[in-house]
Amino acid sequence: MQLHLDGSDTIGAPRERVYALLTDPSFLARSLPDAEDVKVLDASSLEAKLKLRVAIVSSSIKMKMTVNKDEPPVKASLLAEGAGSGSNLKISSVFTLAGDEKTSMSWSADAEITGVMAGLGSSLLKGFATKKVAEIFGDITKAVENSEKGTTIK
Amino acid sequence: MEQLFQSAVDEVSRLLGLEEKELAILGDADAAASELVVSEFEKYVERKYNPEVPVVLKKHNLMGVPIKEEYGGRGARQLVQALFLERMGQTGMGVITFADVHQCLGSLTIQDWGTEEQKQRYLPRAAKGDAVLAYALTEPEAGSDPGSLKATYTKEGNGFRLSGSKYLISNGSVATNLVTFAYPKEGGKGPTAFIVDTKDKGYSVDMRLEEKIGLFTSDTSLLTYDGAFVSKDDMLGPEGKGFSVAYSALLNGRIGIGSGCVGVMADCLNQVKERATSRTQHGKQIGKHQLIQKHIAFIESSLEACRWLVYRAAIKKDEFEKDTKNIPLRNEADRLSAVAKYMASRCAFESADHAVQCFGGFGYSIMSPVAKHFLDTRVARIYEGTDEIMELKIASSVLGKDFEAYK
Repeated sequence: MQLHLDGSDTIGAPRERVYALLTDPSFLARSLPDAEDVKVLDASSLEAKLKLRVAIVSSSIKMKMTVNKDEPPVKASLLAEGAGSGSNLKISSVFTLAGDEKTSMSWSADAEITGVMAGLGSSLLKGFATKKVAEIFGDITKAVENSEKGTTIK
Repeated sequence: MEQLFQSAVDEVSRLLGLEEKELAILGDADAAASELVVSEFEKYVERKYNPEVPVVLKKHNLMGVPIKEEYGGRGARQLVQALFLERMGQTGMGVITFADVHQCLGSLTIQDWGTEEQKQRYLPRAAKGDAVLAYALTEPEAGSDPGSLKATYTKEGNGFRLSGSKYLISNGSVATNLVTFAYPKEGGKGPTAFIVDTKDKGYSVDMRLEEKIGLFTSDTSLLTYDGAFVSKDDMLGPEGKGFSVAYSALLNGRIGIGSGCVGVMADCLNQVKERATSRTQHGKQIGKHQLIQKHIAFIESSLEACRWLVYRAAIKKDEFEKDTKNIPLRNEADRLSAVAKYMASRCAFESADHAVQCFGGFGYSIMSPVAKHFLDTRVARIYEGTDEIMELKIASSVLGKDFEAYK
């Protein structure tokens, strides 16, 4: 099953700083919500067990994520791939940054889902994914802004 | 707008005409239905009432869709109400049960039978979502035969005291007001309809019925009136005319249930189409296996057939609304609403069964998007008139009055 999501957000930090953090696996490792066993593999990739909760059922998917600095400090992409709890998930996402003191970020993601999770149907998955992505970006945005203010992250 | 719903709206608009404000209602319905998908699923799996339903309907100004604009509603004719409930039905019969009871059985009954003062008092609050209505007719010993109701009332001061139990009441524990029915304790007359305030100390929710085989996101309760006080200003319709009130409510309600069932069939078709094109077995998409196509053909045909039966019943009811003294027209609307509810509920149940089959083993899990339709549509063949009562109504409408059952 294919799923497409897109959106935009504003982050209260300069673009160069946002770009540097969003393409830093160590930063992502600290900022991802509901992630366990997070391991930074090298300068562009990390792996983690992401816990996904759908109603009373929770599953965990071991994901490998690779960040590509396509066009610094404007465009980067993130490829995430993994499997767990009877499901396979492959996500290709691109984010584009604009602005100076504050950064506007627009992003799009295409997911390919197979296995148990795919059976839930696209309308439900889209609803859940929208909620989850908003949570992930919310956490990342907060973490970027906190880091800009010099606040300790997690 | 969801694709199948968009095509239905376009077709109705082309053939029958829909005004801008009617299209706006349907656009809001589409947004609300999309917003309810996640909470309906979560609460269904938890087997809990979904409190988000009234919140989301209120947010999109959909609590009073069929209530006249002068009372704060959106003034939708039955045809538009049917389309609205069709879209909500894609999210499941739990949402439909809430909306149908609040609007078709509750609000419309007050609008059709209430005094001007009652309409002013209840309908704006119901339309705004500040009041939730329920319809309490069924009792432990009175289901298909409302003539055997045991609830009674006695006159006291400037009102009435109600005693008795009401069973399997949708919205029962979340309602602020109920339309209910009771016989005079001293006998001699037919039952009378009343509007009960659920804050009255003589009213209680004895039990929330959560052991159902489906419809988990809808509230179902056992209620007790232990001397519940109803002011004389809250008698609905003439004393002794409760059956006329009850039956007119059910006419509206049946079109609502039929509409919801059409939505269920649309969702079954969407889910099965996705499954048939994304799942591979024996080296090809399961949709390329002809026996899966047989299931799809049944769902698609049922959807097309029932959709127009429901629209026809709604159109006939709209005609009656313009000529309310025309009894043959009322009877025709009643007959068509029975046909629409009978066929749509049966076809929705069968379509859900076909959809579960297309999903294979996963279809048997309530995590699948089709299992809830299979479980929930079963009750659509029972509530607001069982299959058998619908069959008796339909057959006697063909054979004539002398053949009416229970004569």
